[in-house]
Amino acid sequence: MRRLEYIATTAAQGFWRNPVMSLASTFTVGLMLLLFAFFLATDRGLQAAVGVLESKVEVALFLEDDARVSDVLGLRARIEADPAVSHVDYITKDQAMARLVDIAARRPDIQIVDTSTNPLQNSLEIKLAHAQDAPRLTAALRDEIGKGVVSDVVDNPQVVDKLLTITRVLSIGGLAVLGMMLIVALFVIVNTIRIAVHARRDEIEIMKLVGATDWFVRWPFILEGMLVGALGAVAATTVVLLAAGPVMNAMVSFIEILPLSFGTTFVWQLVGSVFALALAVGGGGAMLSVRTHLAK
Amino acid sequence: MVALLGRGNELITLDGVSKRYPNGTDALRDVDLEIDSGDFVFLVGSSGAGKSSLIRLLIREELPSVGRVIVDGQDVVRMRRSAVPKLRRRVGVVFQDFKLLPRKTVAENVGFALLVTGHSGEEVREETARALALVGLSQRREHFPDQLSGGEKQRTAIARALVSRPKILIADEPTGNLDPVTSWEIIKLLVRVNELGTTMLMATHNAEIVNALRRRVVHLDHGMVVRDEREGQYAA
Repeated sequence: MRRLEYIATTAAQGFWRNPVMSLASTFTVGLMLLLFAFFLATDRGLQAAVGVLESKVEVALFLEDDARVSDVLGLRARIEADPAVSHVDYITKDQAMARLVDIAARRPDIQIVDTSTNPLQNSLEIKLAHAQDAPRLTAALRDEIGKGVVSDVVDNPQVVDKLLTITRVLSIGGLAVLGMMLIVALFVIVNTIRIAVHARRDEIEIMKLVGATDWFVRWPFILEGMLVGALGAVAATTVVLLAAGPVMNAMVSFIEILPLSFGTTFVWQLVGSVFALALAVGGGGAMLSVRTHLAK
Repeated sequence: MVALLGRGNELITLDGVSKRYPNGTDALRDVDLEIDSGDFVFLVGSSGAGKSSLIRLLIREELPSVGRVIVDGQDVVRMRRSAVPKLRRRVGVVFQDFKLLPRKTVAENVGFALLVTGHSGEEVREETARALALVGLSQRREHFPDQLSGGEKQRTAIARALVSRPKILIADEPTGNLDPVTSWEIIKLLVRVNELGTTMLMATHNAEIVNALRRRVVHLDHGMVVRDEREGQYAA
């Protein structure tokens, strides 16, 4: 119990012995964690957006008027077997016309003047499970044109393509910036703890002399590093929780189609991840710093 | 742990030990030395003779370049790093500059050795009181080092070295910073500690003390043992 008390007291004393450096470390770690939280939230939002838009992506396969039913059914079965496909609907030309009439009724700029003939075609509407597979599937289906069943293939993956590109760029860019911030935070923590180690070098020398284990020497510094990390995490999560409401409202009104509701589970995951990273960076940085000293 | 067989009574054995530092300095050259349990040994020689290097080998602050160092039955050279703290708990060390922590009281300085090695609060209190009584500092337990005389500081350091009841007490120039009268008080204390059963190895070049006590004297010169006498004399 006295040992734990000693470790905790020494860690707290170490933090306050050099308050400027400790607070600078806390600020840097807080900034890094803020970026981390922003990165997680953005990634989560974009993933959700991609999911929503992916569910709207479809490929339309227009069929020849004289295509045999057995060939159409065979083609449909083959398409449904593709793992990228969510499901396939067969739309008759009459259903297509009914839809057109329905749309025309709601759109004054569209007017149908003659409904006695139906120029539309039977079609297969293919919903995709993974939007990124749309180009491959479309290319494969285009090979069917001219073989007596398929007359044309139409797809609309551009929006999702762009969103996927944005997600990828943000992920890579975010990870790169986060990586750099992580290195900066580690550097600052290592130096803060190095100063603390230097301030206590006589005490460490005596501890080693009288037979304290390396771990006993390390723990106060690790705890001090974790304290810096935890305070940074408290600051970062406070900013995130205070800013989350206004930012989300602004984003919802800006991008109306995106479902920007993260839910309580995600918020807790976010807070947990921020604290886990904070403790790991704080403790890890301190370990690095003390290791050099203990190796002497 | 490597237990080694010898005559049976030796606590420290150096077998063909040489120490060369990276800058090429030969601190110790082919040193053979055995110190029995209960001995009081003076390690003498001029500055740079190798006394401090030999002490650093015994507490494994340094490793020899060649040879074996056995302390209390354990091969210090082959010992795992994790076993070093346990070795140091069996070997108390006192230095010329006392190495006391200025912000801790006498009792805290002494108890520190037990606190950082996992002893309970009760053990720390009891053993600290015993060690302070042994060195005659019970009345000064709440004083800080800057309130103590040189002799009292050294007695505090001796109490800290003894508080974990080591088998060996190594004193590296313990009277180097003290006046002659205080030096004698410290020497008398170390003799008493030895009489209570702790093996003493004391590095010094204080000829007056060495010659008055007539104990075993091991003389180092340029890293070599040039003389080893049971009741030795020393001409500094």
